[in-house]
Amino acid sequence: MVKPDPTSTPKPRFTLPRRSVTSALLGTTAFWLTQPSTSVSRALAHEAAEAPYKPEFFTAEEYSFLTAATERLFPKDHNGPGATELGVPEFIDRQMQTPYGVGDNWYMSAPFQEGPANLGYQLPLVPRALYRRGIAALEQYVLQHYGKNFAALSAQTQDTILTALEGGSIQLHDIPGRTFFEQLRTNTLEGAFSDPLYGGNHNLGGWLMLGFPGARADFMDWVNQEGAAYPLPPVSISGQTA
Amino acid sequence: MSKRHSFSKRTVSLTALRSVGAIAVCLSGIGAALAAPSTPDAALIEKGRYIAAASDCSACHSVQGREEYTGGMAFALPFGTIHSTNITPDPEHGIGAYTEEEFSRAIRRGIRKDGSTLYPAMPYPSYARMTDEDMHALYVYFHNGIAPSAAQPPKNTIPWPLSMRWPLIFWRGIFSPSPEKARKTTQAAYDDMVLARGAYLVEGPGHCGACHSPRGLAMQEKALSTQEGDAYLSGGAAVDGYIPPSLRADDRTGLGRWSEDDIASFLATGRNQKGEAFGSMTPAIMHGTQNLSAADLHAIAHYLHHLGPSRLKEKPWVYDPRVTNELHQGRTTERGAMLYVNNCAACHRTDGAGYPDVFPPLAGNPVIMSADPASLVHIVQSGATLPAMHKAPSALTMPSFEGHLSDQEIADVVTFIRQSWGNNAPPVSRRDVEKLKKTMPPRNLSEGPIPQN
Amino acid sequence: MNTKNADAIIVGAGWAGTIMAKELTEAGLSVILLERGKEHTTAVEGAYPDSIDELRGAVRKRLFQNLAKTTVTIRNTIDQTALPYRQLAAFLPGEGVGGAGLHWSGVHFRADPNDLRLRSAMEERYGKKFIPKDMNLQDYGVTYEELEPFFDKAEKVFGTSGTAYTVKGKVMGDGNVFAPDRSSDFPLPAMKDTFSASTFRKAAKDAGYHPYSLPAANASQPYTNPYGCQMGPCNFCGYCSGYDCYLYSKASPNVNILPALRQDKRFKIIANAHVLRVDLDGSKTKATGVTYLDTTTQKETSLKADLVILSAFQFHNVHLMLLSGIGKPYDPVKNTGTIGRNFVYQTITTSRVWLPENSYTNQFVGAGGVGVAIDDFNSMNFDHGPLGFVGGSPVWVNQAGMKPIAAALGTGGHGTPRWGAGYKDALVDTYKHSLAIDAHGSNMAYRDVYLDLDPTWKDAYGLPLLRMTFTWKDNDIRMNQYVVNKIAPIARAMGATKVSLNHLEFGQPFDTRHYQTTHLGGGAIMGDNPQTSALNRYLQSWDVSNVFVIGSNAFPQGMGYNPTGTVAALAYWSAHHIRTIYLKSPGPMVQA
Repeated sequence: MVKPDPTSTPKPRFTLPRRSVTSALLGTTAFWLTQPSTSVSRALAHEAAEAPYKPEFFTAEEYSFLTAATERLFPKDHNGPGATELGVPEFIDRQMQTPYGVGDNWYMSAPFQEGPANLGYQLPLVPRALYRRGIAALEQYVLQHYGKNFAALSAQTQDTILTALEGGSIQLHDIPGRTFFEQLRTNTLEGAFSDPLYGGNHNLGGWLMLGFPGARADFMDWVNQEGAAYPLPPVSISGQTA
Repeated sequence: MSKRHSFSKRTVSLTALRSVGAIAVCLSGIGAALAAPSTPDAALIEKGRYIAAASDCSACHSVQGREEYTGGMAFALPFGTIHSTNITPDPEHGIGAYTEEEFSRAIRRGIRKDGSTLYPAMPYPSYARMTDEDMHALYVYFHNGIAPSAAQPPKNTIPWPLSMRWPLIFWRGIFSPSPEKARKTTQAAYDDMVLARGAYLVEGPGHCGACHSPRGLAMQEKALSTQEGDAYLSGGAAVDGYIPPSLRADDRTGLGRWSEDDIASFLATGRNQKGEAFGSMTPAIMHGTQNLSAADLHAIAHYLHHLGPSRLKEKPWVYDPRVTNELHQGRTTERGAMLYVNNCAACHRTDGAGYPDVFPPLAGNPVIMSADPASLVHIVQSGATLPAMHKAPSALTMPSFEGHLSDQEIADVVTFIRQSWGNNAPPVSRRDVEKLKKTMPPRNLSEGPIPQN
Repeated sequence: MNTKNADAIIVGAGWAGTIMAKELTEAGLSVILLERGKEHTTAVEGAYPDSIDELRGAVRKRLFQNLAKTTVTIRNTIDQTALPYRQLAAFLPGEGVGGAGLHWSGVHFRADPNDLRLRSAMEERYGKKFIPKDMNLQDYGVTYEELEPFFDKAEKVFGTSGTAYTVKGKVMGDGNVFAPDRSSDFPLPAMKDTFSASTFRKAAKDAGYHPYSLPAANASQPYTNPYGCQMGPCNFCGYCSGYDCYLYSKASPNVNILPALRQDKRFKIIANAHVLRVDLDGSKTKATGVTYLDTTTQKETSLKADLVILSAFQFHNVHLMLLSGIGKPYDPVKNTGTIGRNFVYQTITTSRVWLPENSYTNQFVGAGGVGVAIDDFNSMNFDHGPLGFVGGSPVWVNQAGMKPIAAALGTGGHGTPRWGAGYKDALVDTYKHSLAIDAHGSNMAYRDVYLDLDPTWKDAYGLPLLRMTFTWKDNDIRMNQYVVNKIAPIARAMGATKVSLNHLEFGQPFDTRHYQTTHLGGGAIMGDNPQTSALNRYLQSWDVSNVFVIGSNAFPQGMGYNPTGTVAALAYWSAHHIRTIYLKSPGPMVQA
């Protein structure tokens, strides 16, 4: 049995964050009923142009881990931009400020009891707590073994650590390394490929890589053109094009 | 509550009793006496209900969320705001104190019980054509078919001296025909019974011309019947920001390519293969025409169909597939084309044909080709909802694009739509869009109940 | 009963609940429909383009059940401790008006006639001994011929697109040669083939199989159904499964039934009403109404009615029966009781085929119900004799609109990288040039696979959670492996450069972490024997005769086909007999 963590159900600050008046509400239905998405998206783009993103949930140290780790998971290469350029760390930080960050639709009633992996997630930790405790434990592990923070390590060493997490050979105190890894991988890929409305997928870079048309949502002319590639570039919900 | 911007059919002041006090006291006795007579037969009440629907009384005298016919709809006029009145049989707050003769005089001549003249937004120049028989049924219905209500609409806010009604007497004298004369012109013209019925419904109770005919300098309709010339139903001035199109056989800007079935289906359900109702036509169908019999709707359609075009130089619209072919191949270089593909084509298709009955075609649509782009721009800005009708329970919605597209983008995409697939309307500039923003109707779904489907 | 609130109370506003409400109001009854979730309106939450949002939709699961309020516990075997299903993954029940009918894909089948009487049909062909002892193989107690008018009615209400094989015995066209005869054609012609589907169609045909267009409740043309409700046509935007269709072109209770129902003054819908129990009288043989919690005010209300219809999601129906004491809970050890018996699922695996680099599969183009299938290995369309298993799978290309987050999360594994540089190459290649082929198979019922109440965990209202005891059995794994192996030659004929076949492995338990299907079934099944079924052939409770339980909970085993078409037909079938028999003489319609 894992003891419930007192920080596992934090009172999220659903107050308006400093930089964006809307990011706290992204992901809630109430938001969608009251706000035209365009104004949000344009505000985000405006902010991004003004200054680099400052995290609200993650500390500077946590954020530097997040930036380094997500870039290894989704590196810049000949296919296109990596996690950093796509704004993945920003996306994850913003997500922590939505109901998702506190596991709003997860069943989080006690008792919490470990079982076989195939019966699913059984930790008493919501995403915010998973990151907070997981990053702290991992940095502690990295410091012990390598004498540096994760972000300061070579890409090769970072990959070694991530591989070990994925394979389950690192335990982050009461969090299995694999569980932490899956959370990180999932949110990284979400950030690379979700609508730019949420702070990731900058300049539609994720969609361009895949040839995904975005929010146009009309393929009547392209149901079957005998294997030809769809020709039009992507468009976001707010009308941003690439 | 929507604000009305024009001196339209929706402007009404049947019983704006500003000094209710003294009158009310002496009327209450009469009201009691009126309630006493033997119950009129149900068939007559039903007939009255039907005529009320054909006359679309409810569209102006009812407000969403309040009892029917209790008035209160606001009409913002250049010189103040007036409100439609309570026309339930309440003797004090409604029209319970009206005798049948007074009732008939108010509706057909525009003269109130107290002898003053109604604001001519009450379409008495059209109602003048209504028969005595219909007036009787209507009277019986309004006194016995609906419940009295003491609801009081807000007070009118027209400042003195404009609040004086006596100058309206002259207006009425010049522009409103006497019932006797009006009835003669309508009746004399037709041998075809269906045509005659259609003419009666359109020119009389239906008062279609109140919106769909142009008005003169004194706000009078330039023609009140087909005998009075081709201006009749050739399209009116903006109502609530939308342009009532020509109902004549104008090929590009009227109903030239609508069949009788198209017209009847539109009036019954607010939708057909060619288009969908928006703006003030929606309540006109909801409260009015959807309640009419198929025979009457066809009579209306038959009559409208027989009207010739008013714009004789209009070249017939022919579908041009050039843009369709370009878009089908993913070529979107034309100004506005990419915006169309990204925002409009999902429902209205790259061929502009839409999905008939559900999402209206833009190719060849008379609303799109209207010289004044107000309807099109306003629909793009505000979106539109066609609510459930009795025979078509699905509500269909187009989202608002205001805030999603910039003024320039709206101008570009609207121009693209007005000039593709054979459409040939003049371009729309950013300045036009900016100007139209001032008269933009309330955003879709920003008022009233949400369609639940 | 003088103080009743309505003639009938219906629990759950999905397909089953809205069909029952429509039918009962047509019969003149006043109806209150209770829905635990909120109202859903296409024009608001489903508006274009805001709803074209994978993160908010399928990923954050805006239309799905909120597990924080209530969930289930799951274990594989009786000797294990079941643990809560804490995050939505393996299956995705809906929540709110429309239920799963709002977020479904749209594949709309009629049950195969043999599947409705599978024990009888298998015994007739292969003998009694063919059926394993621990397999609770049963007939539905209703035949295809009896259900045909109701399948037909449901298709007309749903605006289903498809190609018939025979209508009234006459061959019509290029439909499914294994499909049973129909009384009329599909209301709309089949949807077009995507490139991946037409490639599969050709290869399957060349291989001697019998490809056909999936019957889809995605409208191929504008459509007005018998209720006057309108559908737009599908433009293959791909936002079906997990979404409310902004084009009104995917059939849903919201689009196809509720607009008409809401015009009826006898009908009332109450959202945010979580039903806690069906109230029974002292004899436990008659329901007096239901008690629900208004989840916005936390106020508990009891409503009284003559008739109670349970039409919540499959396992919620079973849960409510167990919480309310309707019928006798199933005991797998003693093999007694019926509530919770024959809990079934489906055996679904997805294989992947890569085409050459000059072929773009444009996987984002699609619709939930569209595709090409073969039934050559489904139901009893092939010889099970030498194979030694019961059941089968249709095999199909159902390109439903693959979106980037799902593609990214699903790429890698099985020895290929799940992140890093090599991963990105694979992701881009897989997204642009591959397609999926599903084996969408049956799942049989077993004595030790069942539902009951969990002894430990409670929902937000203090009630015990439902407990699932479920795992894959050898019979179904054998079936899945047999059918998946048939995919390889078809894939090669399609010009595959690479094929990744995916099938179940022996000894591999049910894994709750990965989406498989939301097609859960059984637990309160229909049949002709009150000892082995919870409901009679009219879906009426054997034990409490004024309670009807409508849904896939009635399926004695999981069929290869998607369940919605059969659920809808069973709802119309049950409603028809309530209208024509029950209302005239309330009481058990079949004597036990």
